[in-house]
Amino acid sequence: MAALGNRVAALGRIRLLRSSVFIQCRYSNTLPEATVEKHRKSKLAQDPEESETESLVAPRDYKYVYPEFLPDPKPQYRDRIREKLEHEDMFRRRTVLKIPEFYVGSILAVLVSDPYAPGKKNRFVGICINRSGHGLRSQFTLRNVVDGQGMEITYELYNPTIQGIEVLKLEKRLDPHLFYLRDALPEYSTIPFDFEPVPHPPGATIPVNPVKVKLRPRPWHERWERQDLQGLQDLELPERFYERAREVAKPWEKYDLMKQYRESINDDDAAKIMGYVYKKIQELEKTKER
Amino acid sequence: MAAYLMRRSILGSHQCLRTLSHQEIVSKFSTTKCLGEIQKMTRLHVVDNSGTGRIAEFTGRPPRCIHVYNKTGVGRLGDKILVAIRGKKKKAFIVGCKQKQNFMVPRFDSNNIVLIEDTGMPTGTRIKVPIPSSLRGNSGEFTKILSIATKFL
Amino acid sequence: MLRFRYRFRQRNLPSAEGTGSGPAGRISKMRKLVTALIRHERIEGKHPYLDEARGYAERLIDEAVRNGDQHKPTMEIANYWLLEKDLLHKLFKVLVPRYENASTSYTKMWNLPTVYPGGGYHMALLELRNNPWPDVIPQQREVKNNLINVLIKAAKEDHEKNQQLTEHKQSEFTDQSTDTGTTTSQSP
Repeated sequence: MAALGNRVAALGRIRLLRSSVFIQCRYSNTLPEATVEKHRKSKLAQDPEESETESLVAPRDYKYVYPEFLPDPKPQYRDRIREKLEHEDMFRRRTVLKIPEFYVGSILAVLVSDPYAPGKKNRFVGICINRSGHGLRSQFTLRNVVDGQGMEITYELYNPTIQGIEVLKLEKRLDPHLFYLRDALPEYSTIPFDFEPVPHPPGATIPVNPVKVKLRPRPWHERWERQDLQGLQDLELPERFYERAREVAKPWEKYDLMKQYRESINDDDAAKIMGYVYKKIQELEKTKER
Repeated sequence: MAAYLMRRSILGSHQCLRTLSHQEIVSKFSTTKCLGEIQKMTRLHVVDNSGTGRIAEFTGRPPRCIHVYNKTGVGRLGDKILVAIRGKKKKAFIVGCKQKQNFMVPRFDSNNIVLIEDTGMPTGTRIKVPIPSSLRGNSGEFTKILSIATKFL
Repeated sequence: MLRFRYRFRQRNLPSAEGTGSGPAGRISKMRKLVTALIRHERIEGKHPYLDEARGYAERLIDEAVRNGDQHKPTMEIANYWLLEKDLLHKLFKVLVPRYENASTSYTKMWNLPTVYPGGGYHMALLELRNNPWPDVIPQQREVKNNLINVLIKAAKEDHEKNQQLTEHKQSEFTDQSTDTGTTTSQSP
């Protein structure tokens, strides 16, 4: 490394002699980690608008309506400047595209611009089986069975090629994800493309669909009997599967307060972020009314 | 015998797992989630209406990939492969993958292929399932596949 | 929100309850330590164990302060963590009022010297804040009003006063001399 540094310095000196004008040039297009770390720790990165956001209190369910605004809880990925810039970009995107409220289990229709399609548009309808990611990288997955062929498409929520997201049926399911629909009978994930939108009055509580899914016989993608899933019918497995599931179960994780704390954004931080989101969303709605 | 059974079970024959007592084989090794990659010996699903494909599915011996015509050896969307079907070698195009795809590109529940003749003409006359819209950008030999497709998503 | 510097990754403590006790043993050990802390308000032990237990104790008290005893999930959590059930009353009736308006962490940790001869462990002491025990580092006794200190103080004041007086006289003298000096130099 030192030898390389000397060589680079020598090159710099040659350039100095030739041009006789000294231009300080960067020999690398990446910043050293120490520099980035220094700026992350600087006072500029420590929530300058703290006093402003504190006064606003978002409704309790904002955390679930706008989950993509919560940053990644892993401390090595936290960067307050980047989070703020991403939030600005997300609100700028929301001024041109209406991103509705939806949950895992809701039925969505997504319109995407497609350079090869005849109308330059492509529409896909499906049931949302997963929501993940943080900030601009948040994504959701739709599943459908078309002509007897199960298929899934993952969309980025803030991808500029998305032209519209329509919620055809707003509802929740009993589980945080529905990956088990891959192993279920096809009727549970078959949705016609001309699905009639089910109206949802604004302000009404989101209904929870209590349907219990019946799976095909094994082999499956995952060992569903080992996961604590509410939306599954009796799996009809031999007793040894349940025995093994009991052996490897981790019942204490429900009470592991520090594990939960480390793997989520804590209430105080979330309230602060959601207060800011609440303010911005209200501003957006005001500008739309005009 | 045990080694043979092990190999069989790794390759995905679930029958031997069911017939033998589970302590003997199941507890010896653990398996991870399937990648779903198309490589040599991957079983495939013919989605055109050719007679060969239908009979292969019906007899319970689905076609297997025996070569992938690219440098990585892993078949991606739109790649040409060589398959063993009904005791013969045939070429085919991949029109749907089980493995994880990019954003906006559909991921299918099975590895779908469309059989072609040596001349490059598709064996069937119609594709029965939707195929990814991103394949419409492909040119050359693949345009003949696009002409028999019914639905793009 | 935790108000102390906690580790981003947990210590697995693989032999918390004997070799190979695993994560179940770890959580069992943590429960014992948290129960002991709530019971005795000050406990002593190996540093890594107490540091891990500190987070759990803080989170338990935080949940209790936030939600109160009418919140069912909080009561369930407290019931899990406190092995001796009479401590549930202590948590909600003694500790919650004590820490309601706290602006710092609820616990405090001290480093202790390594015991020698012994295992060479880094020992520590974990305590709840505002506990009824005497302080770990005893406060200095008030010695301002001791007779000797009073006398020394008075003597010091006298000395300073005298010094000021002498300085004043000297400065008056020097002022006069400088005045005369300037007048002589100005008149040619």
